[in-house]
Amino acid sequence: MTASATLGILGKKLGMTQIFQDDGTCVPVTVVQAGPCRVLQVKMATAAEHPEGHRTASANGGKKRGKQSRPRAADGYYAVQLGFDDKPARLCSKPELGATKKAGLEHGKRFVREFRLDQAPTEKPGEDITVAALTDVQHVDVTGITKGRGWAGTIKRWGFSRQPTSHGNSVNHRTAGGLGRNMSISKGVPKGKRMAGHYGVEKVTVQRLKVVKIDAERNLIYLHGAVPGHYNGYLVLRKTVKNERLVADKPGLVIKNAAAKAMATKGRK
Amino acid sequence: MNILHQLELEHMKAEIPDFGIGDTVDVHYLIKEGDKERVQLFSGTVIALAGSGIRRNATVRRLVAGEGVERTFPLHSPRVANITVRDRGIVRRAKLYYLRDREGKATRLKPNLGKLQYPRSGKGSGLSKAAATDAPAAE
Repeated sequence: MTASATLGILGKKLGMTQIFQDDGTCVPVTVVQAGPCRVLQVKMATAAEHPEGHRTASANGGKKRGKQSRPRAADGYYAVQLGFDDKPARLCSKPELGATKKAGLEHGKRFVREFRLDQAPTEKPGEDITVAALTDVQHVDVTGITKGRGWAGTIKRWGFSRQPTSHGNSVNHRTAGGLGRNMSISKGVPKGKRMAGHYGVEKVTVQRLKVVKIDAERNLIYLHGAVPGHYNGYLVLRKTVKNERLVADKPGLVIKNAAAKAMATKGRK
Repeated sequence: MNILHQLELEHMKAEIPDFGIGDTVDVHYLIKEGDKERVQLFSGTVIALAGSGIRRNATVRRLVAGEGVERTFPLHSPRVANITVRDRGIVRRAKLYYLRDREGKATRLKPNLGKLQYPRSGKGSGLSKAAATDAPAAE
């Protein structure tokens, strides 16, 4: 879990396109459908803080003999659990439906993630978080699962150089070079030596992507640049953990005319 | 409709002038000089059209002092103010890269003497559907 202690939003990558700014600059953007997300659950450090107070758990606590009544255990941390993208009830397990029912839903959610917080969250289960929550956010960190590349060689996977195509080289054009040392100083292949193997399908966070535009009506957010994963892949968007001070120094691409003119007179960076 | 396609339509120009590969065109391009904006003309032959939707662009080739110069214009950019057609040409390829190897008279293209129907807005013309149907009426 990252240290960012703000509530983010869940989304889905719709695809990439480009938009033109007023001054004619062309900005590559990723369009992300962000929200609406339902708050499914709120986690509190102590049981007393929980909005429902000392709720008694009706489960039988794993014991075979009848139901027990016990005070709700504290979660031990603050968090908000969000659910995104409806999942038909027929595809949900009963425990899933039970969990979403507490947030006032008849169906499940396909993508459920928790956001850890420093303080007790003000959100309540059943509320909706929309992309409007990011209105004041200028940059976001986006977490997603990268595209799968299957079994990939060292060139694609680690950026190794290729070997010469000629000058006597035969067969070994895309193979890795040496793996280690020989003879008395050799300890075999060094631990952690980068080799071919499975590549992709990793959780990756791209930090500090500029928010170009927010379309609250359609729950869309336009981000400058690329985000991990394939189209329709799920994403977690958070306010960036990077230094926002940098933003003032480099006003980026979404600048209104006045600001653009000020920039132009100063000359391009 | 694909949501992305729809979003692109919203940001696209309602209409872009009708021209095709092989046409000789004037591209009116806005350039900034200090605080002033002025129009710069770039006249040449359209040798390639690429991309679709808002990403559609045209490559225009001209000769400047005997040296070939090519510029690619994003058709939906606000900087491209207008494109006017000087001459229609008949060509049999979608990309006229062979013109790069030619000089002088060999770069001439067959003029269109009314044999082809214009406008040729249609599939892949980069025009929105509405604009494509409106265009013939406007001509």
